[in-house]
Amino acid sequence: MESTRARRADLFDPASLAALGRIEIVARWIVDGFMSGLHRSPRKGFSVEFAEYRPYQAGDDLRYIDWKIAARSDRWVIRQYEEETNLRASVVLDVSRSMDWSGSSLPSFARGTGALERLTKLAYAERLAAAIALLLLRQRDAVGLVRFDDRIRSAIPPRMRHGQWRRIISALEESGSGRASSAPAALDQAARLINRRGLIVLISDLLMDMPEVERAMRGLRAVGHDVTVLHIIDPAERELPASGEALFVDPESELAVPASIADVRAAYKNTVDEVIGEWRSMFGGAGIGYEIVQTDEPFGVPLRRAFAARQLLP
Amino acid sequence: MSFLAPLYLLLGGAVAVPLLIHLMRRRIGARIEFPAARYLLRAEREHSRTLRIRNLLLMLLRVLALLAIAVAAARPVARWLGAGHAPTALAIVIDNSLSSSAVVNGRPLLDQYKAMARDVLSSATNADRLWLVTIDGHMRGGSPALLRDEVARLEAIDGAGDPTAALARAASAVRGAGLEARQIALVTDAQRTEWQRTPAIADAQLLIYSPSARPPVNHAVTLAEARPTRWTPRGAVAARFLSSDSTTYRMTINGRTFARGTAAPNEEVVVRAAPAERGWVPGTVEIEPDELASDNVRHFAVWIGPAPSVSSSPGAGSFLQSAIDVLRTSERIAQGHDINVVSADELASLPGLIMAPADPVHIGAANRALERAGVPWRFGTRRTGETSVSGPGFAGVNVTARYDLVAQAGAAAETLAVVGQTPWIVAGPRYVLVGSPLIPDATNFPVRASFVPWLGDVLSERLVGEPGQAIAAEPGATLARPRWADAIESADGQRTPLGESIDVPTRAGTYFLTRDARRVGALVVNPDPAESQLDRLSPSALAARLRAGRTLTARSANEWSALAFRAAARRSLVEPALLVALAMLAIEGVVIGTRARRTVA
Repeated sequence: MESTRARRADLFDPASLAALGRIEIVARWIVDGFMSGLHRSPRKGFSVEFAEYRPYQAGDDLRYIDWKIAARSDRWVIRQYEEETNLRASVVLDVSRSMDWSGSSLPSFARGTGALERLTKLAYAERLAAAIALLLLRQRDAVGLVRFDDRIRSAIPPRMRHGQWRRIISALEESGSGRASSAPAALDQAARLINRRGLIVLISDLLMDMPEVERAMRGLRAVGHDVTVLHIIDPAERELPASGEALFVDPESELAVPASIADVRAAYKNTVDEVIGEWRSMFGGAGIGYEIVQTDEPFGVPLRRAFAARQLLP
Repeated sequence: MSFLAPLYLLLGGAVAVPLLIHLMRRRIGARIEFPAARYLLRAEREHSRTLRIRNLLLMLLRVLALLAIAVAAARPVARWLGAGHAPTALAIVIDNSLSSSAVVNGRPLLDQYKAMARDVLSSATNADRLWLVTIDGHMRGGSPALLRDEVARLEAIDGAGDPTAALARAASAVRGAGLEARQIALVTDAQRTEWQRTPAIADAQLLIYSPSARPPVNHAVTLAEARPTRWTPRGAVAARFLSSDSTTYRMTINGRTFARGTAAPNEEVVVRAAPAERGWVPGTVEIEPDELASDNVRHFAVWIGPAPSVSSSPGAGSFLQSAIDVLRTSERIAQGHDINVVSADELASLPGLIMAPADPVHIGAANRALERAGVPWRFGTRRTGETSVSGPGFAGVNVTARYDLVAQAGAAAETLAVVGQTPWIVAGPRYVLVGSPLIPDATNFPVRASFVPWLGDVLSERLVGEPGQAIAAEPGATLARPRWADAIESADGQRTPLGESIDVPTRAGTYFLTRDARRVGALVVNPDPAESQLDRLSPSALAARLRAGRTLTARSANEWSALAFRAAARRSLVEPALLVALAMLAIEGVVIGTRARRTVA
């Protein structure tokens, strides 16, 4: 059992796994491991349901030809699946400067001894976005990608076609990290790219104004989109580590806050919990899925949280 | 409150460190990129009051801790509170006289004194100056550990010691210590005979403890004396005993018992003997041991040998001839020519007892005879008229006719008697010269009762060619060195060369004085008989007798130990200051710990 778990890439330490390859490779490992986990789970049968056969027509994907029938009856038929293209999803990724940060970059006095190297929130989110996209594409869902900071950095409309995965990966590998985050515009853009009801997955550290986000989210919900928010948090943001005194500077707004970590540690943790509670309350009220994703968690954890609850897993 | 090391108060400047840290903490520290700074700002705004109070509390605790450490380093002392004691110059004076060896309640008093001294030393600190002074004149200063060793080695002496000198020495030591708190802690049995003189103790507090119980009933030998010191070979030993009833005694010579008997209280016992020993030998008079064993034995020394032979000339006079006959009869001298008793004009050889001629006509012949014999004295002007003689053993002696004795160059003589300021009898090597003829027309000395014993001593001791004598001394005393001795021989036969003076041993006994490795005299060491009188002064009477500026009288040994180091009303505040510092740091730790626990939670 232990060895089986150890081979599943979705349960690897994110930083260690990311060090083994590029986004594309890592995302495949994650999804493979994730799917492997599903097949071993008691929830067998939650796959894309087979519906019927239909005669082959020019242009059909050769992968769906049932070769056994072709061998027996010399007829080419295509395996048709239920709802194979019903879902149109768009992954909205925050690439603002605040995302390009890891608790590993803290000075040693603030980080404490023994702290592990971690991915930046952006690196983690990019691999998570790639895995989500791959997972949906394998379900034959149309997937798109919107990257934003203070403006839209890239926007790939949802498609299910061959090559969509490659385009998404290429977009994820673009440089980003502008200054501020402007989620409302990105969310509007994502909604425009999905021309009918679909799934929007926002991956962000949510270091932005809550009312604006709330307004945009409610707009998406109003037109029937299913929205899930993956709130990326570095563990060092959740709970201040170690001790020391320093001037804490927000890389986006240049807000500088002098503080003694020991003095404000408890108060800070309370505040973060309050903020998370506020986000959870706001998203819950709007019918929006909301999950906290810490960058030291294996990628399989947020994948399961994000999709299992919504019955979107294969 | 005052400070013994006020310069250390400058350490108080260190409080600037936590103050600066508190005031400048928002301007120091590294710049850290932290995206969630907005949460930090919100946390500080929402909890700013609690944080400010906590930081202020921590700053105050640290400032107080530093101040307390600086104050402790400055060694504060105050009247109103404090623990321990202010640095004190303390001299512990222990009465280790003979009476301290008396056994009371199963153990010697001195053992109790030593335990009390150890208790006091255990309360001493490194800031104290300490001395241990004993009645026998020893004084040792040093650390508590060193003095504890000294106390362990302490033994009772066989004499009374000199309590006055001991207290004076202790007072001098504490006065010179340079400390404000000065105390002399005296532990003694308050023996009435010991504390006769009243030393003045200024500028130091005197703490006294003396046992309140009645002293034990004591028996002692208070006299043991060979009469005369030279036996030829007959002699006698005189003894007296301190006792409320009859006492059995034993007398020994050279370790051999020669007499036993029973003596009535305060009766002088004289026992005659003619032992076979020859030369200087030791002797003792002993009684049964009691609670104070050291005075149950008393020592004496005696020279035993043949009687010197004496011849006398007709010019010496009939009174002198009769006295010589008495001495011959008692076998103190014999007939012979060892010693000549002559008128100076008839002097042919030495040794001799030489008198001025009865007829002034012969004075010239007498001076010529003296010159021929090598006697460095001459007869000078003849004086008449009755004048009294001064000198040991010459009470009541008058002179009506005499010659001035004129010293010649190189005269080194001992004056035995004087008339006014003029020598009347002088003695030198192998001669005794008298400035008058020993006849009733010139002096009443030949008809005095003291004449025969004096003559016997001169003939059998001074002129026999053996210059030595038995010297009586108390333990621990200091004596001038006798000219006729060059070393002292202990009981085990070991000889120690003599210096200019003799430090009398602290142990009672007979120590022989030698010259050229031959016994020529004895040092007989015995305690003062008064030391056997164990009557005690009451604590208040002792305090009154010791004239100290400030006196504390302890009613028990524990109280004595507790009152030590209480010379000054002021006490050290070092420990309280350190406790305050520790308390501040502990509270700081609690505050920080509470915050840490909340953080972890």
